[in-house]
Amino acid sequence: MHRVDRPIVKRSLFSWVFDGNLRWQVLLLAIIAVAVFTRVLPLEMQKRIVNQAVSLRKVDLLLTYCAYYLAAVLLSSACKYLINVLETHIAQQSLARMRIALYDHIITLPLSFFRNTQPGTVVNAIANELAVPSNFVGSAVSTPVSNVLTLLAFAGFLLWLNPLLAVVSLSIYPAAMIVLPFLQRRANKANQQRVDLARTFAGRIAESIGGVHEIHGNGAYRIETGKFNRLVEQLRKVRVVWSLYRFAVKSTNNFFTSLGPFLVFILGGYMTIKGQLELGSLVAFLSAQEKLYDPWKELIEFYQVYQDGRVTYDRTMEFFDIEPDYPLAPTDRPAFDLEPRLEVKSLSFFTDGGIRLLDDINLHLEPGEHLALVGFSGSGKSTLALCIGQLNKYSNGSVLIGGQEVSQLTKQDLAANVGIVAQSPFIFEGSIAENLLYACDAVAGEDGRRPSLDDVIAVLHQTGLFVDVLRFGLNTMLTAEMHADLVKDIIRIRRKFQEKHGEKLADYVEFFDENAYLSHSSIAENLTFGAANRDDFTQAELSRNDYFLAFLEQSGLHRLLLRLGAQLTRQTVDILGNLPPEAVFFEQSPMNADELPDYKAVAEHLRRRRLDDLDQPDRHRLLTLGLRFTPGLHKMAALPAEMQRLLLAARASFRERVSRDRPGAFTFYSKNDYIFSQTILNNIFFGKAKTTTPQAQEVIAQNIIQVLIERDLLETIVDIGMHYNVGSKGEKLSGGQRQKLAIARVFLKSPRLLIMDEATSALDNTSQARIQNLLETRWKRKSTLVAVVHRLDTIRKFDRIAVMKAGKVVEMGSYDELIARKGALYELVGRK
Amino acid sequence: MSSLDESSPTPSCEYQENLDILRQTYFFSGLPLESLKIFAYLCTREKFREGDFLFQQGEDDGDALCILSGSARLERTVEGATLPIRTVGAGEFVGGLTLIGQTRRLYSLRALQETTCLVLGRDKFAKTLDQFPEQRHRIFRAVVAAINDWEERFLEGMTEACGECASKLGVSLL
Repeated sequence: MHRVDRPIVKRSLFSWVFDGNLRWQVLLLAIIAVAVFTRVLPLEMQKRIVNQAVSLRKVDLLLTYCAYYLAAVLLSSACKYLINVLETHIAQQSLARMRIALYDHIITLPLSFFRNTQPGTVVNAIANELAVPSNFVGSAVSTPVSNVLTLLAFAGFLLWLNPLLAVVSLSIYPAAMIVLPFLQRRANKANQQRVDLARTFAGRIAESIGGVHEIHGNGAYRIETGKFNRLVEQLRKVRVVWSLYRFAVKSTNNFFTSLGPFLVFILGGYMTIKGQLELGSLVAFLSAQEKLYDPWKELIEFYQVYQDGRVTYDRTMEFFDIEPDYPLAPTDRPAFDLEPRLEVKSLSFFTDGGIRLLDDINLHLEPGEHLALVGFSGSGKSTLALCIGQLNKYSNGSVLIGGQEVSQLTKQDLAANVGIVAQSPFIFEGSIAENLLYACDAVAGEDGRRPSLDDVIAVLHQTGLFVDVLRFGLNTMLTAEMHADLVKDIIRIRRKFQEKHGEKLADYVEFFDENAYLSHSSIAENLTFGAANRDDFTQAELSRNDYFLAFLEQSGLHRLLLRLGAQLTRQTVDILGNLPPEAVFFEQSPMNADELPDYKAVAEHLRRRRLDDLDQPDRHRLLTLGLRFTPGLHKMAALPAEMQRLLLAARASFRERVSRDRPGAFTFYSKNDYIFSQTILNNIFFGKAKTTTPQAQEVIAQNIIQVLIERDLLETIVDIGMHYNVGSKGEKLSGGQRQKLAIARVFLKSPRLLIMDEATSALDNTSQARIQNLLETRWKRKSTLVAVVHRLDTIRKFDRIAVMKAGKVVEMGSYDELIARKGALYELVGRK
Repeated sequence: MSSLDESSPTPSCEYQENLDILRQTYFFSGLPLESLKIFAYLCTREKFREGDFLFQQGEDDGDALCILSGSARLERTVEGATLPIRTVGAGEFVGGLTLIGQTRRLYSLRALQETTCLVLGRDKFAKTLDQFPEQRHRIFRAVVAAINDWEERFLEGMTEACGECASKLGVSLL
């Protein structure tokens, strides 16, 4: 990757033109030189064809000149294409470099910058705004050079043909340069008025729609229409003026463009008649005259691209022109290995607005001591913890870790010695494993050592995340190619599991029973009661499969499913129609978020037409939805008992029929076969879980773990679960799981100074007690701990407790000392 | 097939029933139908066996519950001793405040028999309300009114036996 030491925000737009692109720009110039020559050559050939070949009636000359002409035109086209390719390459390469450089810069900016900046602003700057300046960079050399050279070449050629005629015909351009900008300015002004008025216009409509109940209530239709009419009239006038100027620009331009040939005809024609100009020169003159306009237009457009690019670039860089608070890494030494002794002396912290959040804080912790920071919300606990962790830049005083001033340390020093679990930990898109190793990888670098699987498993156990990861593993679907041995093991334990635990789990699991309707499986699954072995029989393809459709028709289900699909469409669109495509809204819907626009259209069609009159794509969508319907999950419709009976009857006949007509198309659910269309858990159950309540999950987990331990499969499944993708911002995890993952991430790094900012607030009692116990047994005397604690029943065993109030430490000591003192902690604990 | 032709009535679905229940709950009843529909759709029904905890003291599960059938006992454990507070029965709504902010439960709720509840979690509630920010004030208004009503009723029913606890009254003044 190409890197420039100077931060991007200090670089000019022009610095990108040659930086890293020099050889491409030189190549571009060489191609431009050829291109300009190929543009002028046809003019000379035109002249010679008329003067020599046609006048002298020489066919050989005609063919020769035509061949040159054709070659020049072909070469010119090739050059044009190559220039475009190179321009695009340079623009895209520069865009990529600008994005990387800007992103690198932005993520190092102080946290205070992000408190005042919307994420959307950063996204827009990197994703959209840089595209405009990069377009300029792509054409910064080629467009002006190629067009100026072409203009000069054409002008030179004209002067060479006839200086007088050339001067007269070129004189129209200065005139055009005076008149056209004048008209353009007027057009721009009118356009600005149009934009402003259109905004008012839109606001007026929105206001009327928003307050339509008031208009109805007062019968004020006439008043509102009157207000609206006035705006419409104003907008109409402004649009007319704007259009008139636009057309005036266009017409004037056309006039000047046409004036050139006129001058050439009148003067050139006269000179040709008088024998002062050859006929061929006149033809060449006319061609060149016409072609002069294009480079001129391109230059004017380029000027606009330059202006847009410069303004956007300067504005973007200006916005992000802020220095990071700390250097990222030391330049003259490796990262410090700090003794975890913490000293805070006379520490104060002020916000950008000058408000004091911490005032004269003093505290001292020996290596391995544990400190709890307690106090009301807003007392400064988190602010202090963040100052110690270098996430807040303190204003006055001193924070020393192992004798080193925190404000003088680099980010790498901190990362190597300190671990922070934030109040609302952030989990990144990726697998559990990637998130677990995030902190370790950041310290170790690209080729550093990673913790062993045993270390990872140990931390999963310590933080209580093991069961969660196991569950993710159990909810994975296996493939025959990759997991042949595991599949055999699971089939072996299935029967044993059913015998031993089946009855206990009957409340929580719906077992696959050939003779029962499965409320937690889709209608398609209920009908086929098997896993497809052919692509055209998969759940997604069934509604397109002619064989299956014929079966539905014959069994009388087709129309019922269409009706069900219509009902689901109406209800789901009614409920979810205006919601964003977030997973939480669509988890309980048979419709995926990306299908919503299509189904909105279907719902609209259903309002206006009968079911029988819908077109084929609409019917297909309805059927798809009907087949996906799972009564146990999708609650916006109910499945009539009679239909369940029909579906059950159809299951048996479908099995019989498809086995006869399409043998091998399905592997029907059987206790002796692994079902690849179902998760590992469903395969062990030979059924599906009915509920996801924590209690049900715990009962299920206990029973499953026992069986997996007996078969030595526990770690295999956990390993599979480690690859579970947690979704954007960890959205597929619960709040508690996110916290456990964040704690595990830091525990795995095993830092010498640990900062936990209400790190267990979303955990259940058991998990919280487990973490607390771990801190007291494994981490005490090993790592220094600063914990912001909200829950006071967990602080008894901390070495010291600092009670904070309005940015000050009002008392500090052990739990027993402070309670005996009957001061602030005593008051907080509520033992008056 | 005759019972399934176009004229046959559609059986009532859980979503419709949930909607009816929420409309009778103080917390949701003031909301317009557009957001109420989404809450009704996002609610789930959970079944608890006798002895199961619907929620546990000290935990922040983030769920609001409406008991549909069965009953549960509200209890509080102090230094190992569990004190029964009262029985929560069918139709009662518990945990509106939990939806609004992070709080650890001060009580446990334990099923006295097989109990079915309508459950809505804080995440779902918050994400839905994000779509209707102008409706937050309706929720706050309902909660404030409920707290005030509660204390008013408490004061009306308060007897002298309350004794020293009277000095701690005033939750509506928070």
